[in-house]
Amino acid sequence: MKVVLSARALTKRFGKREVVSDVSFDLVKGEVFGFLGPNGAGKTTTIRMLTGLARPDRGEIRIAGFDIARDFSKAMSRVGCIVESTDLYPYLTGRENLLHFARMLPNGAESRIPELARLVALESRLDERVATYSLGMRQRLGLAQALLGAPDLLILDEPANGLDPAGIREIRELIRHLASDRGIAVFVSSHLLAEVEQMCDRVAIIHRGRTLAMGPVRELLTKRGADRLIFFARPVARAAEILKTFARDGAARVDGDENVSAEVPREAVPEALAALGSADVRVFGVERQSSTLEELFLEVTGGETV
Amino acid sequence: MKFAPLVENEILKLLKRRRFRVALLILVALNGLIVFAQTQAKDRRPGRDWRIEAQERVARMQNWERSGRLPKTQLRWVRFEIARVQYHLDRNVNPDAVSGPLFARAFANASSYLLLPLLAILFAADIVSSEFAQGTIKLLLTRPVGRARVLSSKFAALVAAITLTVALGGLVAYLFGGLAFGYRGWGAPVLAGFRLSGETFDAAGVRSLPLWEDALLAFGLAWFAALTVGAIAFLTSVVLRSTAAAMGTMLAALIAGTILPRVAPSWEAQRYLFVTNLPLPDYYSGSPPPITGMTLPFSVVVLTIWAVAAAGVAYAVFLRRDVLA
Repeated sequence: MKVVLSARALTKRFGKREVVSDVSFDLVKGEVFGFLGPNGAGKTTTIRMLTGLARPDRGEIRIAGFDIARDFSKAMSRVGCIVESTDLYPYLTGRENLLHFARMLPNGAESRIPELARLVALESRLDERVATYSLGMRQRLGLAQALLGAPDLLILDEPANGLDPAGIREIRELIRHLASDRGIAVFVSSHLLAEVEQMCDRVAIIHRGRTLAMGPVRELLTKRGADRLIFFARPVARAAEILKTFARDGAARVDGDENVSAEVPREAVPEALAALGSADVRVFGVERQSSTLEELFLEVTGGETV
Repeated sequence: MKFAPLVENEILKLLKRRRFRVALLILVALNGLIVFAQTQAKDRRPGRDWRIEAQERVARMQNWERSGRLPKTQLRWVRFEIARVQYHLDRNVNPDAVSGPLFARAFANASSYLLLPLLAILFAADIVSSEFAQGTIKLLLTRPVGRARVLSSKFAALVAAITLTVALGGLVAYLFGGLAFGYRGWGAPVLAGFRLSGETFDAAGVRSLPLWEDALLAFGLAWFAALTVGAIAFLTSVVLRSTAAAMGTMLAALIAGTILPRVAPSWEAQRYLFVTNLPLPDYYSGSPPPITGMTLPFSVVVLTIWAVAAAGVAYAVFLRRDVLA
């Protein structure tokens, strides 16, 4: 797989405080990578370094093979970004904004404007001033701007910030489309867990400047304990007694008068059901409760909320 | 990556904003007002011989000089003015002639130390800081264009805007002046190059040249002064990253510059301040310098040093600083 973005041992200090410590990751073609962390975790500082706005104190960043400290222009010609809320020029029209940024790119970017306007569904409003746009439209125009140079890599800082559910969904679908159909690697920072879980192939969880966990979303979730099963059974007390013996951690939790949950490994489920049956426990249903990114997040960050 | 499209961007952004239209409006309104005021004054004494007027003025000023009540700085100016008017009388050139071209020429002097610097500040104070305020700096600096080129394109646009403003100022003055006093007279002779050597009037360097040539020189000098102020305002815009703060700093400097020579004429070191050196066209057309001993070449050198230093610091700061806000 072709590595599009590679960050090695990034470290940034503000005075004596280290806000980003030794952060490394790679992004490959066509992958959506979620960068997850609470406010103040070092997400924004990391993005500033990836986009050349801030200089790392230590570490190296390569985009499409170019070191951004040494080959800034070559590296940046492969990137499109939205760095924190898409602020474009409000006194220019959508088209003028796109033309403005097209002029900062090698020749040919201008010819992509009509196609991109269609992609982000802004054709009909393109000649109106951005001041009259809604937040969702500005975000979409920002995305069109980011795509002007036909980049290999998109860096999006909180792309869903301030959008309504429909807007979030639109952006999410657009990002998935760009990654899977056009092979663009997408780096998305977010503090919205559900968002990242639905959109990203891989995530890194960053907290106090350090990466605490990184990997494919599915893998991270299954690694953290077996999936939890909820048994709807009567009598609950006897069901709990039996399920304890099958549970990975030897515990079963009773909620209400016919609700028992336990971490029963997949292979043990048939036996557990047989045991319940032979002990005259009536089972009305079983439900799988997958652990969520949120639980994982709380676990790795030590319970700090997002 | 070509440079011209970047400059095109910056000029587009300058022209599309309201502040450019405000600057134009200020030029039109101010010129209109001054012309109107002057026609009112002119109408009160119609048809009198300019020689008699000038002689009367010389006599009036001589009375002041003898009265002994004038402070030293004003005395210096009065003596100079007497000699200058007398010099004109001797050569039969009207020192107070009024025509459209002369009005435009006078605009260069009148606007060089306050109005044009003010308009230069209006553009320059905002040119970098507004990108920070809008957050667009993050887009501008993540494009495949080096920071030095981004800043250079802004500087080029600023020079273009200041040039345009000075030219439009002259044009508007000519149009309004012409409306009131007639559009002809670009070829009229002008006496330029009076100097004050020490405390005495020095006519050795005086030469006569056609008005259009004299006006071009005066506007060139006014343009250069405005450019220097623009460069310094550009620096404050880069360093302070806030339009209001940059504008406030520059206005305070300009105001200090107009007050200082009056309240503290004996403070010699102020000749090295940029604000003291701004009235270049005044020197050239012969007014005494703000501080005794200052000359036109001296002021041009001081202003050049200020402009180059300001631009240098602006680049150094802009190229190195992390963009975090």
